[in-house]
Amino acid sequence: MRMMEERMTYRTASLVAYVAFFALLMVLPFFLNSFWTNRMATYLVYSICALGISMSWGYAGILSLGQGLFFGMGAYMLAMSLTLADPGNNPVPELMLLNMEPDAVRDLCCVTTGSFLWIPFRWVIVGILAGILVPCILAAVIGYVMFKRRTTGVYVSIITLAFALIGQLLIINNQPLTGGFNGLASLASLEIFGFEFDPYGPSIYYLVTLTLLAVILLARYLLSGRVGQVLKAIREDEARARYLGYDVENYKLFIFCVSAGVAGLAGMLFTLTSEFAAPSLMATSFSISMVIWAATGGRASLLGACIGALLVNFIGSLASESATFQPVWPIILGGLFVFVVLVMPNGIAGIFKDFFDRRSAPRTVEGR
Amino acid sequence: MTKQTRRTFLKVSTLAAAGLATPSILRLGDRAWAADEIPVGIMYSLTGTTAIVEKSMNQCAQMAIDEINARGGVLGKKLRPIIEDPASEPRIYGEKARKLTIEDQVPVIFGCYTTASRKAVLPVVEKRNGLLVWPTWYEGEECSKNVLYAGSAVPNQQLENSIPWLQKKLGKNKLFIVGSDYAFPRGMAKTSKTICQNIGMGVVGDEYLPLGHTEWASMVSKIGSSGADVIFSNVVGDSIVAFYRELRNQGYDFEKLPLCSSTTTEVEIKAMGAEYALGSYVSLPYFQTVDTPRNKSFVEAFKAYAGADSVTHAAMEAVYTGVNIWAMAAEKAGDVTPEAIVANVGGLSFDAPQGKITIDPQNLHSSLTPRIGKTRADGLLDIVDQYAEPLLPLPYSSVGETADKRICTTAGATL
Amino acid sequence: METFVIGLSIGSILFMVALGLAIIYGTMKVINLAHGEMVMIGAYTTVLATKHLGFNLYLCIPLAFLVTAAFGYVIERTVVRRLYGRLLDTLLATWGIALILQQLIRIHFGLGLFGIHIDGLGSDLQNVPVPSELQQAFQFLGANIPVYRAFLFVMALLLGAVSWWLIFKTRFGSQLRAVSVARNTASACGINDKRVNTLAFAYGSGLAGIAGVLVSGFKTVSPDMGTPYVVDAFLVVVAGGVGHLMGTLLSAGILGEVQSFVATWLNDVYGRTVLFTVVILILLFKPQGLFVTKSR
Repeated sequence: MRMMEERMTYRTASLVAYVAFFALLMVLPFFLNSFWTNRMATYLVYSICALGISMSWGYAGILSLGQGLFFGMGAYMLAMSLTLADPGNNPVPELMLLNMEPDAVRDLCCVTTGSFLWIPFRWVIVGILAGILVPCILAAVIGYVMFKRRTTGVYVSIITLAFALIGQLLIINNQPLTGGFNGLASLASLEIFGFEFDPYGPSIYYLVTLTLLAVILLARYLLSGRVGQVLKAIREDEARARYLGYDVENYKLFIFCVSAGVAGLAGMLFTLTSEFAAPSLMATSFSISMVIWAATGGRASLLGACIGALLVNFIGSLASESATFQPVWPIILGGLFVFVVLVMPNGIAGIFKDFFDRRSAPRTVEGR
Repeated sequence: MTKQTRRTFLKVSTLAAAGLATPSILRLGDRAWAADEIPVGIMYSLTGTTAIVEKSMNQCAQMAIDEINARGGVLGKKLRPIIEDPASEPRIYGEKARKLTIEDQVPVIFGCYTTASRKAVLPVVEKRNGLLVWPTWYEGEECSKNVLYAGSAVPNQQLENSIPWLQKKLGKNKLFIVGSDYAFPRGMAKTSKTICQNIGMGVVGDEYLPLGHTEWASMVSKIGSSGADVIFSNVVGDSIVAFYRELRNQGYDFEKLPLCSSTTTEVEIKAMGAEYALGSYVSLPYFQTVDTPRNKSFVEAFKAYAGADSVTHAAMEAVYTGVNIWAMAAEKAGDVTPEAIVANVGGLSFDAPQGKITIDPQNLHSSLTPRIGKTRADGLLDIVDQYAEPLLPLPYSSVGETADKRICTTAGATL
Repeated sequence: METFVIGLSIGSILFMVALGLAIIYGTMKVINLAHGEMVMIGAYTTVLATKHLGFNLYLCIPLAFLVTAAFGYVIERTVVRRLYGRLLDTLLATWGIALILQQLIRIHFGLGLFGIHIDGLGSDLQNVPVPSELQQAFQFLGANIPVYRAFLFVMALLLGAVSWWLIFKTRFGSQLRAVSVARNTASACGINDKRVNTLAFAYGSGLAGIAGVLVSGFKTVSPDMGTPYVVDAFLVVVAGGVGHLMGTLLSAGILGEVQSFVATWLNDVYGRTVLFTVVILILLFKPQGLFVTKSR
């Protein structure tokens, strides 16, 4: 009976945390100028990214080091549509005019090799759908092969990392089609039903915040029920879950695809707040950063992962922008990662949870 | 254990609260410009891969600003630099450019070194009406009205002089073009091929390597077996050093197989060790050895500022030019807003270390003096060829721009 | 033939960087992302020793080994030791260490903040003079072979042999193997497994330091030079089979050859692409490693 009561304390507390977090996010733009609105929106996009990591890593033990690939694909899909929506890129994107053969036909069908692939992106809705579906499908293919071969643990990380490296190389190498290393930067603002989203205004900010809320709710819905329990079982002991009759491969494939879709979604929103897409988004260091955001906040906590992304980015940017800390800001950031891993292995959320768990039932040790 | 955890929790939550609270504090702090100061942004990477070169550009920008302030500033106001570190990542360049333009409301950003970083900054300055003063020689193909391309060479200013020179003076006729895999080398290769066609020079190879790639063995043996008698290199960054060292290790000699580079500055030569570059050519508008009193005083000033063993190079000289030309335009306009600068900078000339630099009113690029240097044993370059007059910038020469048929005009680019 | 030799030398570098990582990862299951920084520190040791102590490249090899081994020792004692059994956490912590080490070099270990600059440190590019006998090329079976590449190959084999001897012929080696197979049993038998870990970590780091010396001969030395190596080296280790010295050697050789042949045949971009594809295929179809015939 006492246990029940105490459990409620933690549950209530985390509910309060969720509500407080989103209430804060909703009122924040009233206190921010357009720069901080834009920066907050960008950091919240990183939060969505961290959410994706938390879902696959925290809940199912699948650590993808190629999350940047999905993020980048999402960014490119929407950026292609927004490139075509820019009047300067009509009827053919400038990047193709610069890279075409001198006598090529100036039409999207055939101005450069493969340029016809851009045709569907004339409709923005195609870009938006592709921004989620292409990463999902890509993840489905990669995941299918991996999980059918029963690849686990660090091998999954390495394989996804290698895929991201390949993706980055190919995009850079096909400059006439993709814009190459410099990426896509002359983009129109997103316009839906005549409403233009201003990257510096509250419109994008609220779009990002509401998307974040939607993703969290979706994730909680997916993970709090049966699926979440099975995934946790798989994380703890894959073989045992399999003996119990669960279709381990499909569960893993499912969460891997969802996580990729979330990363793609984040990539699209990144294109909106930052107005460009480039192969550097697929770089290994960026993928590792995402994992670090999730780890700092607490990999197995959705809200924790969000806060982790915000915190790491804030500390990084504030340290690099203050005259005192500028020479040593990477040391501060690096020290933070070491500190987190050594002192709070479950991240901020872990400490939050410990705080309540310990108070209620001091003798219970959380299984890790 | 319990106590400790709880204490850590408190510590962390205080930290988090401080982190979230800081924005508004910062905002109040940063906004309070003194009335006799003009804030200007300086944005060169101090960490990450391109920090190697950009750190010296940062120092040079600060030196130029100090000099201007010592002369009394701009419009009677002191310039106050706000320094940002974009960590060699385009996405952070974009973020820092937003901070400078919107939050700090600087009328100008002196910054960027790579085109990828400029592309990430472009939407910010164009949509939020900022001004970027861009220093590096690059592939052209851009015609923004929010960028002042001060001192930055475009392909025609590095190639129109050098490729015919390789044919005429060195008697070479089979060119191998090699570059890193991105827009600059590809743009340079296109312009090179056009020039080669016009002067009847053969191109036997046009190859690219991933950026940052340092395994050159395959490429060098490919060059060797292609029958080329001269190499034109548009390789950048770390790869340069590995490339030159590999040529040496495979037994090539620049006297027999000359190499002309568009990118190898004094910095890279110092980095690889001058013996490896000895005898190779470079085509750029500025070398430390430019023999004028103006340049001597510039070199001395920079050495006094940054240390006796530092070298000056083309990108750094362009930074210096950029700061000064911007200040001249501001004085002429009586205003520092981007529109006022852009409206008044056209036609202005600055007596730069390399000689007279004039901003073209049509495309906001710079007339520069093309030069070819030959690397000597101390890591500097002997100037073996230079134009008597500055050459007009044609940023779209890769797609056929000529002095009579401009693609980039005040109205924008028409491809 | 030339292509083959180039492949061998690419493989040699891969092997030297991967060898230390293989020992660290194989024995104690630590993903050491700071391994690339050990290469970097080895290279900086060379820069400083040639500049200030008048050392030549050969003398730098043992020196760099000692310096980086010392760094490895400290890192193991302070951070990595607390993380055994938490594989992915080691990844995060060592990434943090990598950031710190890079910045320490940039700011002259903090002295730069007080205006003290040491020639050879800082964020500039540095270089190392190479002895003239290593700068030549010689003819072998009709191919033009640079001496430096041959030197790399010999060094790789030498380091491989020394490591093999250390692991299979010494008391420390048998303890190391015992710990990597069954930590608790080994510990129960009286082996000080913590000490074995520390020494193995230091030894692995030292090997990376030697690789750093050799790499500095044909590449610029800069604070972030190590990062690309760690990814490649890790691919080699995993593809070769964790904890198998021979596997690491062969997979480094094969991946080097793959890259070299594709680069010559098509171009370097596809060379890299095919390299990554081969690694993916190996991990999918022989996840225990290419050359492991029986699994434990």
